Amino acid sequence: MAYVLQQLLSRSAKKYPGKEAVWARGRSLTYRELEQRSNQLAHLLREQGVGKGDRVGLFFPKCVESIVSMLGVLKAGGVYVPLDPQAPADRVCYIIGNCGIRVLITNQEKRQALSPETLELLDCCISTDQPENGNSGRMIPWSDLAEFPADRAPNGTSIETDIAYILYTSGSTGRPKGVMLSHQNALTFVEWCAEEFQVRSGDKLSNHAPLHFDLSVFDVYNALEAGATVYLITEELALFPTSLAAFIQEKQITIWYSVPSALMLLLLHARLTPEKLASLRTILFAGEVFPMKYLRQLAEMAPQADLYNLYGPTETNVCTYYKVERERLASMDKLPIGIACANTDAFAVTDDGRIARVGESGELCVRGPAVTYGYWADVEKTRKMVVPNHFQENFEEKMYRTGDLVTVNEDGNFYFQGRRDSMIKSRGYRIELGEIESALLSHPGVKEAAVLAIPDEVVGNRIRAVISLNVADSLKPLDLQQHCSTKVPKYMIPEFIDFHGELPKTSTGKIDRVKLKEETMAVR
Amino acid sequence: MIQTTEAKDQIRQYVLDEFAKTKGINQITDQEILTKNGIMDSMGIFRLVAFLEDTFKIRVGDEEITHDNLESVDAIERLVIAKSKK
Repeated sequence: MAYVLQQLLSRSAKKYPGKEAVWARGRSLTYRELEQRSNQLAHLLREQGVGKGDRVGLFFPKCVESIVSMLGVLKAGGVYVPLDPQAPADRVCYIIGNCGIRVLITNQEKRQALSPETLELLDCCISTDQPENGNSGRMIPWSDLAEFPADRAPNGTSIETDIAYILYTSGSTGRPKGVMLSHQNALTFVEWCAEEFQVRSGDKLSNHAPLHFDLSVFDVYNALEAGATVYLITEELALFPTSLAAFIQEKQITIWYSVPSALMLLLLHARLTPEKLASLRTILFAGEVFPMKYLRQLAEMAPQADLYNLYGPTETNVCTYYKVERERLASMDKLPIGIACANTDAFAVTDDGRIARVGESGELCVRGPAVTYGYWADVEKTRKMVVPNHFQENFEEKMYRTGDLVTVNEDGNFYFQGRRDSMIKSRGYRIELGEIESALLSHPGVKEAAVLAIPDEVVGNRIRAVISLNVADSLKPLDLQQHCSTKVPKYMIPEFIDFHGELPKTSTGKIDRVKLKEETMAVR
Repeated sequence: MIQTTEAKDQIRQYVLDEFAKTKGINQITDQEILTKNGIMDSMGIFRLVAFLEDTFKIRVGDEEITHDNLESVDAIERLVIAKSKK
């Protein structure tokens, strides 16, 4: 049994040295090459002072070096932090400061986006492309890897309870929060997937999700576990449905995993035929609700494939799953999120603290080795979400409160009902409306801001903001959208902005979001 | 017959107003890769295509919605000119 993630690679490198491990942008690395490069990078990182538990940021668009970097950091004993290459510099700089990144793997273009204060925090940058001569600050070219030993990793003492990576997600108080995931957290999930989906060395896995998104954990580590090949789909390719469909066919992808909206884009615009998807044996989706209408279309387009709805927040990775029963598809009106994965316990807790009975609604809680320790450097937030399991009276045990309301139906499956708070999903991205409100309120001209999620069949939700200004007519929607663009990722910028004299209040003086939403929906 | 410079201006203005400005980008060159840095997202691509069809009275097939055809203002203009000659 592997107990740290890098063992998955080392084992497959022994078994399948000449096999293609990763492909991206027309380049690929064999298992031997991936093992050797990541060994070399680990030595280089050690030389730069990276040791046990040190955070190393990865800030560049997806390419084969992304995978080398993830493994190299782990082999050095460090913790990797994938940073969204499309996020505004302000957010990336915040994360670098928040988790104390001192070594950053990046490229020249991305490095230039960082503030001087942030560059000041860094001991060094490793560049995936050659640095120009005369560049200020320390830039180590990727070609320096060649000077380090390839045949073995530095001596390490990592154990399964060490943190392997930190994934930042939207935070309700205006700043992203870092979910810490240990080797054990990740391996619990990877081992379940290996068994459930029977991933084999002949498989070709797609990687559609960005690497700072937890869906990518399956694509990368289950490929490594099985000695299979992972094909990284770049942001540019993901935008063009017909090209993406051609890619699946050309590369003969066998296992696909993405958010439903990516699959819907294919269904709506890729001129799909069953031949184009004929290589797919397994299609996994997670991150948002898949509308039944489109799921039925997908089932018809890929009659040979097993379809799975996976569910789980970053804090647990996938914790429940539902294998689509094709014979029930026609009559089903809502897709279940299913039952708990192996080695994971999931249960719904009612408002009065009982386990929900069949048909009753409750908050889904999760315990087991897949559950995060919590949020980096945020004890308060961690205490709120990773709480003592009060059903265990005789010793202390933790469980994670997902904030998702579910019911258990007679078929034994969990069904998602809604959220307890103001977190929403749009195109599978997890978004705290409070983070957008904070961004809007940080503009000096804004007096009040309420951000609403408007349900949309294809993308899940669209974002609309209602604003009251300090001085009427002093700002236009575009001014505020531009302001937001410096604070939050592009998918969080409100698509629509309405101005309002004074926002309606509830009896307790809070902004009445329910009323605002009703008004907004009525107008449309 | 579509005037080249006029078409290009219209395309550039539309991309700026609809996609770039809301994301804090006030200037784009005609060679700039629009799919980089998230100027254009998946829904945006289809809004752009609808705009091209309406404005230039052309029909863009799903199979023509590719990176090569839509990657920059220059590329979009080439597509529009090629389509309108047919």
